[in-house]
Amino acid sequence: MSKRIALLGQPNSGKSTVYNALTGSRQHVGNWPGKTVEKNEGTYTYNGETFAVIDLPGSYGLSGNSDEEVITTDYIRGGQADLTVVLVDASQLERSMFMLAEFAELNKPAILLLNMMDVAGSMGKTVNDKLLSERLGIPVLPFVAAENKDYEKLKELIQQELRSPHCLKSVPVSEDKKDYKAKYQWISEVLDGVTDSTHKKYVLSKGDKRLLSPVLGKFLCLGIVLLGFLVAMIVCVPFMGIGSMIPGILNQPIANLLNGLHVHPWLVSIFSLLIPNTLYFCISMAAFVFGVNLVFGYLEEIGFLARAAYQFDSILSKLGLQGKAVCPLLMGFGCTIGGASGTRVMDNWGQRMLAMAIVWAVPCGSIWSVMPVVANMVFSPVETILVCLGILVYVFIMAWIVSKVFGKSLAPVESRTGMIMELPPYHKAHWKHILKEALLKAVDIFKRALTTVFLVSLLFWAFSYSSSGLLEDSLLYKVGTFIEPVTKFFGMSWRTFMAFLSSAFAKEAVLGVLNAVFTGQNSLVNVTFNAKTTATDTMALAAAYSSMISKPETLAFIFASSFNIPCVMALSTTYRESHSLKWTARVALFYFGCALLLASVVYHVTALFL
Amino acid sequence: MRLTETKPDQEGKITAIGGDPHFISRITSIGITESTPFQTVKNDKKMPVLVYLRETLIALNRKDAERIEVTVNE
Repeated sequence: MSKRIALLGQPNSGKSTVYNALTGSRQHVGNWPGKTVEKNEGTYTYNGETFAVIDLPGSYGLSGNSDEEVITTDYIRGGQADLTVVLVDASQLERSMFMLAEFAELNKPAILLLNMMDVAGSMGKTVNDKLLSERLGIPVLPFVAAENKDYEKLKELIQQELRSPHCLKSVPVSEDKKDYKAKYQWISEVLDGVTDSTHKKYVLSKGDKRLLSPVLGKFLCLGIVLLGFLVAMIVCVPFMGIGSMIPGILNQPIANLLNGLHVHPWLVSIFSLLIPNTLYFCISMAAFVFGVNLVFGYLEEIGFLARAAYQFDSILSKLGLQGKAVCPLLMGFGCTIGGASGTRVMDNWGQRMLAMAIVWAVPCGSIWSVMPVVANMVFSPVETILVCLGILVYVFIMAWIVSKVFGKSLAPVESRTGMIMELPPYHKAHWKHILKEALLKAVDIFKRALTTVFLVSLLFWAFSYSSSGLLEDSLLYKVGTFIEPVTKFFGMSWRTFMAFLSSAFAKEAVLGVLNAVFTGQNSLVNVTFNAKTTATDTMALAAAYSSMISKPETLAFIFASSFNIPCVMALSTTYRESHSLKWTARVALFYFGCALLLASVVYHVTALFL
Repeated sequence: MRLTETKPDQEGKITAIGGDPHFISRITSIGITESTPFQTVKNDKKMPVLVYLRETLIALNRKDAERIEVTVNE
């Protein structure tokens, strides 16, 4: 069996960067037995030997009673790791050594990784690693997470230590595990003479003075994030463009080939329409995830997100969240999938689930690209802008509703934890790593999306398939018209209702479905699955649409679709991140119900005026 | 006095931390313990308090900051 190496470190110690760099794509995500805590395991090979790496969960220490801390302590104490790599931030050594002080009493083989030596250096701090190693009795490795040669040194050291392991020879002398004073006392003794600890007064930089000011700072934060999205869009639009061409390019050749082989028409349809379209949706989702993670990876690494968390802490605590939730919520404007996994920064499960539920209310990039098109079919450009503003305003209302409905049970007031976080010094961005991590996430979502999107597409395909190619022969038409009396109550005809249903699958599908049910000039299956992408002629659609649909119905449809379940992958990611089928289903049902209710309110109110 | 009553650039020492064990464990593990010297960096209304201690700039939400008793240097 391969040797196990555990990674232990505080947030911001660069643990996940080291984990990702060591294991690359050879990662496995699972669950710790009986717990809603994610277990990250990976492997790497060095000198022909394979090593397993476990990214231990937890935050700043080990003596708290959170699930994460108990899991981590038990794992190390049980001797399941052959070696523990403890990471500390060399630029804030005294504080981040607390994790090592907590680890000390477990008395297991370890090495100490002095990460962020570059940051420490740029702040004029020096660390005498030889003296530190002598005092601790374990190897101490100065490290820069972006330097490839440092990983070679680390791998070599790990192999060497597994043969002749070292345990800490100096440990804090304390009465019980909650004796924090003794631990910090030990740290200052160990570090005496190792670092230059002259006390300096902290002066905020000019940039920080602006960014942290109560009013101007908030606008600056929002401006920077907006700019970030612009960059993200520029990055992912080419990929999405290529992705959107796939169905058009692949459809005919595959159809011709299969027809020539006299395959059953169903199979032809599946291979020539469904699969290329699944590819398109998956590429588009992966591109969104990539763009959003690229931008937010950058904003996080340079230290901006911590400032944004500081700015929005008070507002978010009114929703039962805290400052750290600012990152996932803002990510949600790009991609709900990214936002849902971005909630990992929150250490309390209930608040994390609540944050995911609220992220769902944030309209993603897809909504912003689809809904204005729909609005523009019946509204003037000025009215379209008003509709978009209306969506933006409703985001706040929905966030408030969700926090009121789920806040009490998910995060009871007494269990809510407020924001306690460090504002790291501004770092230079290590692009290679940001790119790599964004790419890993995009590839991961692409792989997971393939099956999910394919299966849901298959379901929708079965509904919209008709052997004659006529709309009226599809199951979709029959079911749609059958339930129309009910959907009418929500302000939607069967056509818009079907498009609304598809918005829970993927927002990209909405235009295709609308086109199929309104123009009817192509076979429903063809248009829905983008066989003729260029044929999604919005002009023709607009003409057909505006003659059949009123302004109130359009508004009802737009609002219902925007605040529906975001997409199947957001749903599956929320389940994966929360590990709770019950809560994922609850939130999904709630959103679906709320969307219908919203549609009926919007329809009946606006019908009075429009 | 409470940490929330300090002014920017004031320096002092933390004297007492109130709250349940879970809170104490959270706040201690980030480096805030009794007798730690600190410097208040920013303390705006309705915003978290920014304190500098153990070479780290820490943002602390107001509700929790109120539970921290300090003395400031003259």
